[in-house]
Amino acid sequence: MNKIILENDKIIEENLDSSIKYDIFTNDTFGIASLTLEITNDTDLEINYNFKDKTKLETMIIVNKDVNLRLFEKINGEYAKLRTKYYLKENSNVKTSKFNNIKEIKEYTIINLDEENASIEYNLKTISEKEEVYDILTYHNASNTISNINPNGVNIKDGKLKFNVSSFVPNKIVKCDAGQNNKIINLTNNECIINPNLYIDEYDVTANHSAWIGSFNSDELFYLESRGINKKEATKLLIKGFLTNKLEIEETEKENIKNIIDEYWR
Amino acid sequence: MHTLKIENLTASVENKTILKDFNIEIKSGEIHAIMGPNGTGKSTLSKVIMGSSNYKIEKGKILFDDKELNDLPTDERARLGLFLGYQMPLEIEGVSNSDFLRTAMRSKNEEFKLYDFIKKINSTVDQLNMDRQMIHRGINEGFSGGERKKNEILQMYMLEPNTIILDEIDSGLDVDSLRIVGENVMKYYKENKPAILLITHYQRLLDYIKPDFVHIMKDGHIVKTGDKELVKEIEEYGYDDEKLGTKVVEEN
Repeated sequence: MNKIILENDKIIEENLDSSIKYDIFTNDTFGIASLTLEITNDTDLEINYNFKDKTKLETMIIVNKDVNLRLFEKINGEYAKLRTKYYLKENSNVKTSKFNNIKEIKEYTIINLDEENASIEYNLKTISEKEEVYDILTYHNASNTISNINPNGVNIKDGKLKFNVSSFVPNKIVKCDAGQNNKIINLTNNECIINPNLYIDEYDVTANHSAWIGSFNSDELFYLESRGINKKEATKLLIKGFLTNKLEIEETEKENIKNIIDEYWR
Repeated sequence: MHTLKIENLTASVENKTILKDFNIEIKSGEIHAIMGPNGTGKSTLSKVIMGSSNYKIEKGKILFDDKELNDLPTDERARLGLFLGYQMPLEIEGVSNSDFLRTAMRSKNEEFKLYDFIKKINSTVDQLNMDRQMIHRGINEGFSGGERKKNEILQMYMLEPNTIILDEIDSGLDVDSLRIVGENVMKYYKENKPAILLITHYQRLLDYIKPDFVHIMKDGHIVKTGDKELVKEIEEYGYDDEKLGTKVVEEN
């Protein structure tokens, strides 16, 4: 699998084949690093971000015509301010699986479905223990484009988690499918917010959104407990399920995520 | 030998009394069937026995081997050997059957061995005519009604309970699935001699699982007890009070 490892705004390791072209530079005036990735053939890519210091990073992902990208992003560390832009060309497909385990983050993601039949499934999972704000904006700039945006988070400790998720379909852009499924399991008394927005200016569109903030379903807990699993373990099982579900990643990576969850819920 | 005894149990949900002075005693090796019209409290009974926090016990006792269960958490009841097969087993996305059952078995048995677990789950899945891939899928995720019921029986086999409550385990099953579920419950019964409390609407399940006692439940308590002949009466008359002799005369 293609892999890039970043420490703050520097690439410290990369193993990429010819299906991925990349460039990184730092704008010294604004102190922002920019990473550009162009995907030219079907491929899998893993990006590990380790933000040891406060970091600002812009990433641009261009997916060429007829290309399928399976992207796995892992974010660790203290604090980051990220801006990620996707540009999807004709018949391209992206499946993003993203797991964030960072103290504090502000992430601004713009998804441009620029040409016909472009599609994206975007699955974000995060453990929020301080302050996390995600803005995810999806622009259906061409007909027959599909977006399926699924931000999921578990809010713990001093966490305040916010999802601002917006999908845009302008007039005369037809037969698009815009979906959002936003969910926060809030295990604190702190405020969490979801703003699910659909800005649709066309009749010939399928669009749906859902938003849930709350704890786990008591019936699910009862079901697990009725098999002899205590409440703490049952909750941990549900968290593991919630934070790994729908991620298209290797089983070993799922196990790594489950180990991280075990560290939080010892 | 284990005994589940329920004494004068009255339980409510949202201030509505569902179970009213309910009594029953079930010993290891006995199969009891409870039948009755919809809304009479049969499913409530099963959940109250397992300790669902949705219900409030107003009075009475649930005793297991003379130990009072009323305030015991659900997981501890399960670890004593109680098992509830659900009428409508939940779908829990993302939690695989394998992770779930491993956690459950580790909770019950500290000497849990992974190799033994894999061997047993594979053979039981085969025995129930299920797809082995289901082990790695989320709990009941995308399962048909029949697969969900078989999954309940799979869990029963894996957890080896001594006292089993099966709440309408026959609902939603086609003929073949009903046979597989019925035969496997009886196989488990013959091998382990648990106490079984069977809640059902239909005689067809009792073609496979032969009860020692049949109870008719109405308005939150048992109004008549008999043997399997009583099932024939129910088949013939329905739950007609006059014909079954279950009419309750209100005391002034």
